Amino acid sequence: MKITLLVSTLLLSLGSAGAANLTVFAAASLTDAFADIGKAFDAKTGHTTLFQFAGSQALRTQLTNGARADVYASANSAQFDPLVKSGLLGSGQPFLSNRLAVIAPRNNDRVQTLTDLSKPGVKLVIADRAVPVGDYTRRMLSAIDKSGAYGKNFSGQFLKNVVSEEPNVRQVALKVQLGEADAAVVYSSDVTPALRPGVRVITLPTRFNQSASYPIGTLRNAASPEAAQAFVNFVLSGEGQAILKKWGFLKPR
Amino acid sequence: MVIGALLVLFLVLPVAALLLRGLGAQFLPTLLGPVVLDALRISLLTTSCTMLLTVVLGTPVAWLLARYDFPGKTVLDTLLDLPIVLPPVVAGVGLLLAFGRSGLLGAPLELAGISVAFSPAAVVMAQLFVAAPFYLRTAKAGFMAVDPDVEDAARTDGADRWTVFRYITWPLAFTFLLEGLVLTWARALGEFGATILFAGSLQGKTRTITLAIYSALESDLAPALVLSAVMVLVAFSVLAVVRRWGSAHTAR
Repeated sequence: MKITLLVSTLLLSLGSAGAANLTVFAAASLTDAFADIGKAFDAKTGHTTLFQFAGSQALRTQLTNGARADVYASANSAQFDPLVKSGLLGSGQPFLSNRLAVIAPRNNDRVQTLTDLSKPGVKLVIADRAVPVGDYTRRMLSAIDKSGAYGKNFSGQFLKNVVSEEPNVRQVALKVQLGEADAAVVYSSDVTPALRPGVRVITLPTRFNQSASYPIGTLRNAASPEAAQAFVNFVLSGEGQAILKKWGFLKPR
Repeated sequence: MVIGALLVLFLVLPVAALLLRGLGAQFLPTLLGPVVLDALRISLLTTSCTMLLTVVLGTPVAWLLARYDFPGKTVLDTLLDLPIVLPPVVAGVGLLLAFGRSGLLGAPLELAGISVAFSPAAVVMAQLFVAAPFYLRTAKAGFMAVDPDVEDAARTDGADRWTVFRYITWPLAFTFLLEGLVLTWARALGEFGATILFAGSLQGKTRTITLAIYSALESDLAPALVLSAVMVLVAFSVLAVVRRWGSAHTAR
């Protein structure tokens, strides 16, 4: 079945002159949603879309150092705008927003509330500072500190409990899924159907939560600029937005 | 000639590029920064522990495998080689499933108050798992290369088993053991996949040179380039010293 599909896709891409091979670099948090979008897009247009998912900062480094891609979707503008400024990317536009979520393994009740995150001996995993979600996590911590609701040095104690700073958000979620961390900070969209049975989501008051805005754009040296633009348009279209919503993302701001 | 030169050029050029970019004006200040110093310290400490454990635990195993036959030996031999073939990420998952909190030995270890994941001990375990087989292989080959007749001769002269090993077998197999140890060290120093899965990545605790290079590549290139250059220099010096030492030993 899969082989027939593959063969027919190959034939299709050879046969029709307009069909292109598209390479999309996308933030790790988009893994499931973009895989879905890629299938829908390919079925509709006859293009063949390939994805590379990683931390946005890793993708940016690769693009800066000559990696070829047609589309780049980043989890924040800090990893996107410099590429626009250097002329590698055309202008981008926000295509979704995301929120943070604190998760803990379901079979481990060491962390029940936000206060527990600062208790000594708790093992926390977050993303590295350079990873967008790692940056949002640190902003969340300073918002909590500023409010004073959890004591003056909440973030200090929280950071003391961190046992690993991971290279992308899916690695962070994995450590909780495997039960190795007592809690972690990810995006709310990372609590996918696959992850949900294994984790509890700990309530994070809205005033501490951070709104992550994801920009998307086409590369200036895209091999197939039209197909690249078509992909961006599809992501922004009603159909694309519906798939993103299904995977827990919010409308762009 | 020309074709040979091509390969040499291909192998040398990336190293030269690393040194050219890494040994710039920012070398010393970056080298003395906390990111690089922490990574060097962690790597030095963990690989030293790994080497020590490898020699102490690996030498008897290699010797037994070289000298004795027992049922299931072939299977055991293959199992011990397996980590060489396994992708490091798979090794990391295996270590988590065995020694992680929800792993096979995780619950009893946790009860005993021992929590290995995300600790420097986890870094050593990851390195030991992926690197020790290199020592086992070469050490076994070394022991097998020693003529048993020489050992027997010493034994008939009244030497006990330890004396035979210490003064006959060990010296004769020494170059092999050294070679195996260098391979083990190199593999341990470069370990990435198993470490990041099982030990995580935290500066000053579990972030080795390799993890630090990966993490630095994503934000600030300078420490990554300096660390890469340091890695080249250290690796070259170790190989050169060992080679001299090894050949001096054989010459004796």
